Amino acid sequence: MKWVLNPYDEFAVEEALRTKEQFGGEVVLVTMGPARCREALRTGLAMGADSSVHIEDDNFAFSDNYVVGKIIANEIKNLGEYDLIFTGFKIIDDESVQVGIHIAEELGIPHVALVSKVVRIDPDQKRVTCQKEIDGGHVIVDVPMPALITCPDAMNEPRYASLPGIMKAKKKPLKEVLVDDINLEALGLSRESLGKDGARVKTTSIKVPQIERKLKVITGKDNPAVKGDEIIESTHELIKLLREEAKVV
Amino acid sequence: MSNEVWVVADLKLDGSIRKVTFEALSEARRKLVGKIGGNLCGVLLGSGVSNLAPELGKYGAEKVYVVDNELLKDSNPDGYTKALADLIKKYEPYIVIAGNTNLAEDYLPRVAGRVQAGLTMDSIDLDLTDDNRLKIQRYSHSSKVISTQEFLDHKPMMTTVRPNSFKPEEDQKDPEIVNESVDFNSEDIWTNVVEIKAKKSDLPPLTEADRVVSGGRGLGSEENFKYIYELAEAFDAAPGATRAAVDAGYCPYDMQVGQTGKAVSPNLYVAVAISGAIQHFSGMGSSKVIVAINKDPDAPIFKKCDYGICGDLFELLPPLTDEVKKLLQD
Ligand SMILES: Cc1cc2nc3c(=O)[nH]c(=O)nc-3n(C[C@H](O)[C@H](O)[C@H](O)COP(=O)(O)OP(=O)(O)OC[C@H]3O[C@@H](n4cnc5c(N)ncnc54)[C@H](O)[C@@H]3O)c2cc1C
Repeated sequence: MKWVLNPYDEFAVEEALRTKEQFGGEVVLVTMGPARCREALRTGLAMGADSSVHIEDDNFAFSDNYVVGKIIANEIKNLGEYDLIFTGFKIIDDESVQVGIHIAEELGIPHVALVSKVVRIDPDQKRVTCQKEIDGGHVIVDVPMPALITCPDAMNEPRYASLPGIMKAKKKPLKEVLVDDINLEALGLSRESLGKDGARVKTTSIKVPQIERKLKVITGKDNPAVKGDEIIESTHELIKLLREEAKVV
Repeated sequence: MSNEVWVVADLKLDGSIRKVTFEALSEARRKLVGKIGGNLCGVLLGSGVSNLAPELGKYGAEKVYVVDNELLKDSNPDGYTKALADLIKKYEPYIVIAGNTNLAEDYLPRVAGRVQAGLTMDSIDLDLTDDNRLKIQRYSHSSKVISTQEFLDHKPMMTTVRPNSFKPEEDQKDPEIVNESVDFNSEDIWTNVVEIKAKKSDLPPLTEADRVVSGGRGLGSEENFKYIYELAEAFDAAPGATRAAVDAGYCPYDMQVGQTGKAVSPNLYVAVAISGAIQHFSGMGSSKVIVAINKDPDAPIFKKCDYGICGDLFELLPPLTDEVKKLLQD
């Protein structure tokens, strides 16, 4: 069995390592991004992953999510057989939830989003049962493997890399892939479809949100904090402000 | 290629339509449909949903596409993917919009991949460029900035909208109903739903709530979180929490607000014993009015709130809860 990961996310790494501890197999980290991602891969290897693949090229910067998904899916295919892929739920920088799911679509395998718990893995029937978060509750689903699972924050408690782990990680394979190594045409992509200029959605401007806050803080008279009789007065005053000034109650 | 703007209805577990769907219909009508000279259409996917079409008409849908199929029960994400992708391929809409719910985050990226569309998530503003390409605004970079993003001239253009960002506004129409059947193969549906556990709660869902009351690490225990639930109930608000509170086991992850939790945008956000970390603000910084209750006069949150009380939550919350109850009962 093989457990593949992308993009780097400590909850996803932890979940893959636990799966390996239970069922054996191999954990391969796959990520795409600038040189600094290598740090994250080293950490993942130090936590216990077996090897890693880093797709690194400036040509990929600001690529559309579907392009990123396609290229990562292709690298995963190149790794041979696998059973589960764990990815982070969001890519923190961009708050994008898309890439993981694009990978699953590209590979033609099921995905289970926002999994709060992997309930059961059945290697014989090749099925995985998960508890996933949905609006207004949660649901238990099961899907055939191979499958992709997106891991939210707080899914587990990621382990720390131990000193021997860090030493061992230095000797573990870290494969690098550049744009020239990829047969873009075979993926239905071209150099033009990479990066910012090929994106279907382009960021044209950014601004810092400016919300003026009123900054009215009620404090105690003799002490920074309200105490005793002031308590009731302060709650009165707050309600009055919410009602008459802010008009939200 | 048609000039239709589609809004896909988001359904709650009880089968009713979420408010965000009406918000999306209203904003699409105000900002997009007139300018591109198109039609506003609703899309209903589910099992036993045909009777919901008039509700979309109430908010301006002139036409409603309905796929009513047993396999779409419980908003099955694989079923939704297949049904919506097939509809898009057949009718080639101009723009497709859905609410930014867990469900949309789950299946829409797959649909976009399958129909080769551009997709942005969680828009807080919808607009068009001079040449009628979709132009949206969304929070990015851990919500420190708002990005304006434009679509290439490549259809359909797809986006989700953040709940509570747009005003729902009725515009009664008597929509034409287009019943569509989708041929499902056994390989189309991978996900087998074993069990659904709906949260037993009369309180509104976090992302859609008009008011939110959140607690932080300062609550100190799961037991003490009752102070948060009680104040939330008094306000008819949804309860929320910081990651520190979730990590400490005081409450479940689905209450987490912030960069790695839920993004909320209520009219009133009450932060109790929350220091005001940037990662927390990235999930609630766009709230209209922020109230902070904290015993530390130097807590960073006092520098980014509208109203605050510096004091001990255990002394302040019980009388505050009583007062809110009284006020809202009148
Ligand atoms: C990658 C990353 C992602 C993150 N994502 C999130 C996220 O999604 N959401 C999130 O919330 N955080 C997130 N965090 C964590 C964030 O940085 C903060 O650590 C967290 O928000 C702090 O939570 P807190 O305010 O409850 O706790 P603290 O910072 O410990 O603050 C507790 C506050 O309670 C006050 N207090 C204590 N007792 C009382 C009392 N009796 N009465 C009144 N006040 C009292 C204290 O004065 C203090 O200000 C993330 C961090 C990282 C690195």
